Amino acid sequence: MAPGDLPVPAEGAGGRPLLRAAGLSKTYGAVQAVRGVDFTLPAQGYVTLLGPSGCGKTTILRLIGGFERASSGLLELDGVSLLDVPANRRPINTVFQSYALFPHLSVEQNVAFGLTLRRRGRAQIAERVGRALAMVQMLPMRDRRPRQLSGGQQQRVALARAIVNEPRLLLLDEPLSALDQRLRKDMQVELKDLQRRLNMAFLHVTHDQEEAFALSDWIVVMRDGRIEQQGTPVAVYHQPASAYVADFIGGANLLAGQVVEVRDGRATLATALGIFEAGCAPTVALGRPASLCLRAEHVRPVAAGGIEARVAHVVFKGAEWLVAVETEDGSRLHMLLRHQPPAPPGAMLQVTFDPDAAWIVDGTIQAAA
Amino acid sequence: MERTRRLVIAALTWPVAAALLAFCVAPLLVLFAYSFFRVDFVTIVPDPSLANYIRVASSPTYRGLILRAIESGLLVAAISAVIGYPVAFFIAKRGRNAKSALLTLLLIPLYTGDLVRIFAWRVVLGAQGVLNSFLLWTGLIREPVRALLFSPFATHVVLTYNYLPFMVMGLWLAFEALDDRLIEAAMDLGAGAVARFVRVVLPLTVPGLLAGGLMVFVLVVGDYLTPQLLGGSSGITVISAINDLFGTAFDWPLGSAIAWTLLGLLGLMGAAAAAAMVRSAAARAMTAGG
Repeated sequence: MAPGDLPVPAEGAGGRPLLRAAGLSKTYGAVQAVRGVDFTLPAQGYVTLLGPSGCGKTTILRLIGGFERASSGLLELDGVSLLDVPANRRPINTVFQSYALFPHLSVEQNVAFGLTLRRRGRAQIAERVGRALAMVQMLPMRDRRPRQLSGGQQQRVALARAIVNEPRLLLLDEPLSALDQRLRKDMQVELKDLQRRLNMAFLHVTHDQEEAFALSDWIVVMRDGRIEQQGTPVAVYHQPASAYVADFIGGANLLAGQVVEVRDGRATLATALGIFEAGCAPTVALGRPASLCLRAEHVRPVAAGGIEARVAHVVFKGAEWLVAVETEDGSRLHMLLRHQPPAPPGAMLQVTFDPDAAWIVDGTIQAAA
Repeated sequence: MERTRRLVIAALTWPVAAALLAFCVAPLLVLFAYSFFRVDFVTIVPDPSLANYIRVASSPTYRGLILRAIESGLLVAAISAVIGYPVAFFIAKRGRNAKSALLTLLLIPLYTGDLVRIFAWRVVLGAQGVLNSFLLWTGLIREPVRALLFSPFATHVVLTYNYLPFMVMGLWLAFEALDDRLIEAAMDLGAGAVARFVRVVLPLTVPGLLAGGLMVFVLVVGDYLTPQLLGGSSGITVISAINDLFGTAFDWPLGSAIAWTLLGLLGLMGAAAAAAMVRSAAARAMTAGG
């Protein structure tokens, strides 16, 4: 799948996407936070903006939410420009990173906040608030105040407060970053589940690639205010568009080399460990530095005929062993093994990989970093 | 260890408490005692009775003066709140690097003396003053407006000017503690500017409003110079009445009774404000009670 394709067919009149951004930019003084991004969101589906801190992903969310004004570019919801619509008139709701629950209101009043502003009837408000709280299992806590709730509970209330308004698009700004590991995993499942049940559009910002994989139908990888790649989680993982994406997503082994041939979506790369042929990203071009991308799970030891390497260290990870080996030229390779490695640190062994699982990307991590 | 610490704390607090008792509470208690005595020509006779309080309560003049002082206090506190909200918001949320400079500017009028400020306002509001000259020049008026100076208007303008910084300080602190993301969240949920103020900003800044308001109120009620020098015929206040009773009229017992009536009323209002503050939504949010 090429970047730019949609995961699910866009809904709405004429097959228009729900949200469209084109050349969207935001500049703060001399800092270019977002440098002309183009993307679309479907009316249903879970999309993640993924990138390290400072890559502009939160700024994009704030532009869509209406908390920042775009410096240039286009932003449309259902084909109508959002740029002059104030935040309180956008059919979009946000789950804030710190939850931003109103401390002076009870859980129930927090969730009812948006509906009371829309002057819905008392009975309708009570019914919808009850339903939203039940959906996030917070009904028994409805009379509490935010300060009496744990982080996970506040998170659920923030979620209920947003979805009760039935927005066209739900924005989630690093919503799980304040939770501990276990709770985060549980909430990931719940978020995904909720999105499926509501059949709504969720746009989630995170720096955690595991979280992005667990949740998303579609991932947009950001770097320095630009979109580096967008695609399904599987495509982003197995066919990264650049050395940067390959390194940021799952920390692939990257062997730097020179491209000697490109033909029919495959390239031949000359590296210190030999010449390899594999599928390649469209940006790979003859004569440019490129990297062979090898996932740790695709590297394995062999009895003979492999690459000579010394075991540098071994980490037991529970279900797997992560083994780092160093080849003669100093290249370091990680491999993920299901069984205990055949050699202790310091010993020599031979490693190989499945050429079909390799992938060639433009650039090297030195250049990317 | 624990004992030493308690001794140190006691050593540090008791002198202050003792000084407060000696120099602040004791004179008030003396006045309190006086308020039950009576004057016989030029001597104060310790003959306890409630006569002075009955005189205060039954005299339309004194009742009126006390009422007017409280009205002025409430009015100036209310005007200060209306002016103070945008100012405090601006300093806290838009002040950025200029924050400390803006706060200093706000306090500069307090560095000058009362009299300097009052006479400066005379220059502004007088018949030949800056404001009248300007209005004459624009042709909006043909005769200088004499009611600008020596009127309740002048008094309230200058009282507001004098005590506004106290209101702004109270509100500024409340705004500093107010999380911007709550305002964004309200906007996100569909609240326009008015709804954001009424439903989020106001309830969460009530402690600052009450603290600032109480301060302005008490200072205005106790202000003596401003009405005296700018109020003209309206310059007679309950404080100047007390002053007269202690001075020329030599009726300390009645003066004490008025002072204590005023003090009692202020105390009640202060207690009401404190109770409101404790029960305010913001305070409940802080302590996570009920």
